[in-house]
Amino acid sequence: MYSLLQRVVTLWALLGGLLAVIIVLVTAVNVGAFTLDFALKPLGIYVPALPGYEDFVRLAISAAALSFFPYTQLKKGHVAVDLFVQAFPNWLQKILDHLWQVLTAVVAAALAYYMWQGMLETRGDNTMTAVLGWQEWPWYFPGVVSMALWSLVALGQVLGGKSHG
Amino acid sequence: MGELELIGIAGLAVLFVLLALRMPVGLAMLVVGIGGTYILSLEASFIRFGPYMKQFKSLLWGNMANYDLSVIPLFVLMGFLASQANLSRDLFRGMAALMGRFRGGLAMSAIGACAGFGAVCGSSLATASTMGRVALPELDKLNYSPRLSTGALAAGGTLGILIPPSVALVIYAVIVEGSIIDMFRAAIIPGLIAVIFFIAVIAILVRINPSLAPTTQTMTREEKHEALLRLIPVIIIFGSIILGLGIGLFTPTPAAGVGVFAILVYGFGLRLFGKEGLSFNGVGTALMETAKTSGMIYFILFGAEVLKGFFTRANLPSTMSAWAGNSGLDPYMVLAIMLIIFVILGCFMDSLAMILVVVPFFWPVMVDLNGGDYATAASATFGMGAEDLKIWFGILTLIVVELGLITPPVGLNVFIINALAKNVPMMETFRGVLPFFGVEIIRVILLMAVPGIVMFLPRLLG
Repeated sequence: MYSLLQRVVTLWALLGGLLAVIIVLVTAVNVGAFTLDFALKPLGIYVPALPGYEDFVRLAISAAALSFFPYTQLKKGHVAVDLFVQAFPNWLQKILDHLWQVLTAVVAAALAYYMWQGMLETRGDNTMTAVLGWQEWPWYFPGVVSMALWSLVALGQVLGGKSHG
Repeated sequence: MGELELIGIAGLAVLFVLLALRMPVGLAMLVVGIGGTYILSLEASFIRFGPYMKQFKSLLWGNMANYDLSVIPLFVLMGFLASQANLSRDLFRGMAALMGRFRGGLAMSAIGACAGFGAVCGSSLATASTMGRVALPELDKLNYSPRLSTGALAAGGTLGILIPPSVALVIYAVIVEGSIIDMFRAAIIPGLIAVIFFIAVIAILVRINPSLAPTTQTMTREEKHEALLRLIPVIIIFGSIILGLGIGLFTPTPAAGVGVFAILVYGFGLRLFGKEGLSFNGVGTALMETAKTSGMIYFILFGAEVLKGFFTRANLPSTMSAWAGNSGLDPYMVLAIMLIIFVILGCFMDSLAMILVVVPFFWPVMVDLNGGDYATAASATFGMGAEDLKIWFGILTLIVVELGLITPPVGLNVFIINALAKNVPMMETFRGVLPFFGVEIIRVILLMAVPGIVMFLPRLLG
């Protein structure tokens, strides 16, 4: 079960990474348009930049960034100060680590709940981006999924799941 | 001091205890921020916990959907892709072709390569680890003293945090609501000074004790030609990012996007025409490493946002700045104390976490000492307005945060390099770092005494 979760979380983070690559490609097109506009303006040719570029980046990065959280948890990549606890006996270190994992699971589950509420509220308010006019609420959904996965990974770690690879 | 301030100070103490107990930094900030606000709400009727919790409906998403911060995963991705495409090795070999014939030249090349890679990577730890892997075996082959080679690489790795574009500079600018581009511009000259100082240290050390670098590197004409040829595209990619940012051609997110795009095109191009370059596997690895690192950074950023709310409600930043103002201490002495606190905290705390926790306290103190938000250059204590103060204080802060990375007993960069250099005692690496630590102190004093060095480019290009 935990290895399935591990695969899902890795795939979810990879999707987030691909979203970052899409931002890169859109940015390259946008900067290319700017450059062409700069070069061709003296000839009377105007090349418009992508309208709503910042809106798109903002929405896409929100989904990408949140999709990374469970993967960072899976790889035990959330940074911590290691200096003092190293001197503790192993059993105490394990208890502390499990305690923080339980707390992470609770916090992530609470954040998933609040984000879900936020999504419903944003949908009710019909909030849209300034230039593109896209609805904002669907972009909350990947965040809700990310928080739920994060909670499950932390819980899995408490129950003895180990990360492979 | 009132009840609220005492709760704030207790919260700060609890934060440090939780950090010492290895609670993840982002989680500790979040827990103290929420828990502290709950306790504040029991004391002060105007702080209501129920409505406070409702902000979490949109706070996390709002934090992530921030255009300014979108630059972070892109810069992180750029660093990992550069590493996968072997640009770090090309950079080092190219520098070696230029400087290898001098005594100590290979260690100097490592410093130059660290500066170049720091420009694309933006993280000191990643710079130290990547360049350590590339340069240490070469230095070893030429029988360089392990003290010199590990010391130079650990110190060289610190250049990543300051040489723009740097993630730490972006985060500092966001905290103090300053201009990211001005921060980048301001960091260029202090970064170059560090490179010059580090190279000078190596030149002096090998002059005093030639056995530290007993042989110089010999390259055939063909090898040199190839190394320099491979250096050109690397310089074009890295240089165009820095130049584009410096002259205002790009803002940070497009710069990072273009940087990633250029490395992808160059890396796949190399692959297409030769055996090396960037593979799809390499891109996949870079994406997963980016996910892990960016997830860590974003969680700390979110934790810091929640913690900042608690400290502000507890009036801690304003209490601290009032205390500093009434202490009767010379403002430069207060500044020096703050910088020393950064160095001490840097011995065991992650640099980003440190910037996020401490800067919100110290920045209001600096503003008060300087004469307030509306102080003009003529009337201000430090001889500059609030906008310039943000830049100057930021550069000083980042330099001392860097210093923490090479300060005993922890010094994360020293640990990374020492782990890569098998059979070199830790003390030997710390000894090797000492001369570089010394010139860093000189650099801080120089930049404190002559703020014009920091402000030259922002004023020229602004």
